[in-house]
Amino acid sequence: MPLLEIRNLGKRFGGLAAVSELDLDVGRGEIFGLIGPNGAGKTTVLNMVGGTLLPTSGKIIFRGEDITKFPPYRRAQRGIARVFQRDVLFRSLTVLENVLAGFHLSSRTGFTEIFFKGPSTRRQEKALREKAMEILQFVRLDRQADEMAVNLPHGNQRALCLAIALATQAQLLLLDEPITGMGGEEIEAMMSMIRTLREERGITSVVVEHNIRAVTGLCDRVAVLDYGRKIAEGSPKEVVENPEVIEAYLGVEEDAI
Amino acid sequence: MSRKLLINILSIVFLAAVIIALPIMLGSVYWTSVLVIIWINILLVSSLRTLKLLGHISLGHVGFSLIGAYGSALLVMKVGLSFWISIFLGGLMAAVIALALAYPFLRVKGIYFVLLTLLTAETFRLIAWHWPSLTGGFWGLLQIPSPNPITVPVIGTITFDSVNSYYYLTAVIVSLSLFVLYRLERSRLGFKWRVIQDTEVLAQSVGINVMWHKMLNFAIASFFAGIAGALFAHYQHALSPDSTARFGVLMSIYLLVYMVVGGEARFAGPIIGTVVLTVVSELARGLGEYKPMMIGAIAIITMLLMPEGLVGLPNRVKLWYRKLLKPKREMQGSA
Repeated sequence: MPLLEIRNLGKRFGGLAAVSELDLDVGRGEIFGLIGPNGAGKTTVLNMVGGTLLPTSGKIIFRGEDITKFPPYRRAQRGIARVFQRDVLFRSLTVLENVLAGFHLSSRTGFTEIFFKGPSTRRQEKALREKAMEILQFVRLDRQADEMAVNLPHGNQRALCLAIALATQAQLLLLDEPITGMGGEEIEAMMSMIRTLREERGITSVVVEHNIRAVTGLCDRVAVLDYGRKIAEGSPKEVVENPEVIEAYLGVEEDAI
Repeated sequence: MSRKLLINILSIVFLAAVIIALPIMLGSVYWTSVLVIIWINILLVSSLRTLKLLGHISLGHVGFSLIGAYGSALLVMKVGLSFWISIFLGGLMAAVIALALAYPFLRVKGIYFVLLTLLTAETFRLIAWHWPSLTGGFWGLLQIPSPNPITVPVIGTITFDSVNSYYYLTAVIVSLSLFVLYRLERSRLGFKWRVIQDTEVLAQSVGINVMWHKMLNFAIASFFAGIAGALFAHYQHALSPDSTARFGVLMSIYLLVYMVVGGEARFAGPIIGTVVLTVVSELARGLGEYKPMMIGAIAIITMLLMPEGLVGLPNRVKLWYRKLLKPKREMQGSA
């Protein structure tokens, strides 16, 4: 059984069909790429899987459960975490607090601890802090733990976005342009992190990207969207050689490959 | 660390001593009654700030205060409950009504929320006005009894008929309420509020049920507004639904001004704002109808010179002082 099944998914904005009749299967532990020209509907698909947009037709099934109508927070509880486009993070919090916010799901507020913090609460808080530091070490931000998130450079902010998603104990990461606007070294670091997460923890990723070279280097399988429809699916190599894809995605610049 | 703790304990003891000694030092029923109203307003403005933690500005806080006031008074007068239960139930009624309204209300933002809360409070006030069999209509609710006397071992029986004893009652209940609000803000619940206020869409996607937490926040703030209303009802012994009285629009605006002038970013802000502006407006009683102008002038000056409010005054003074001193130091250095 695939981890994520998308069946006949559609989204209309007024008369415009942003996504139509989309079928996708993403297997456990897969790194799946979603590519296509601007306005092809990639982010719309990610929004529907993450729950910030509700589809007008079709179904989304995660781990065998129909989550089509779930609000975002319930999807997060099931194990889906979003890494947003641009730098969506908690700007008024420190780097460490950002990750602690991600741990929300694994911490519970008792009524009495509002007035009195007992030793068990303190122990739990300390354990969460340590776990948060481990995640920060993984994304190489442990030295900046006490800095304000908003003061980090762009590449580090993206890494922090990933750290927040990891803190939710996600099974499935939805990465919206994780390497756009990054330099060569940062791109390498981000790609190797996504690979390591799959190898060490079996975390599945769905990646939306413009950078086709990065996608072909990172993903096991790729689907290509054009005008909201899937025009190709397969290994990166197959997809890049597909003439329809070359025409739709790369247009006249096919020499550039 | 222990030194800091010691200073904290000492300042709390000092503050408590001042609070206990104030009515005795002032020795005036008039000023003590002003202090009672200050205590009640502090609770109203502080709970208004609780809403602000999630970015909500309410012009209808007095409406939930009205629910607590009429609720508690009627429970004592018509049902025969004791004040000590009715004050809590009054707050609870405000919270339950807030919870019921929260779902539609909290879907709107900014100016729409302000207007919705304003109109809700006016609706509550007009219901009180037009339901004479229950609320006494426009005559208001009269002869609301004082809290029942309590018997404490060793000390004996305490009655709450005098202004002085009611002052202490209000001081204790409001202090406890403020303690709860303070601890809430620093609890994990308060942390979630901060997270939601920062970036709502990300808060959702890390699994926080944003709507529920907003509703809870609205209910908690309204609960304490209800408590403040109940304290007011049993102190004044009368409630009026008149627009110029306690539950009118002007009062809502004053509460907002107290909060902003005091400084909404810090917990102490609303407390300082309420104390300073109430005392100033009492001292300016001689100005008669020009009194609101005085409050307005103070508000404008504060907002222009200290955008962070009166609570930021110590830091501001330090800054001005340094600016004044700096050129002198440089001259000394060159000499």
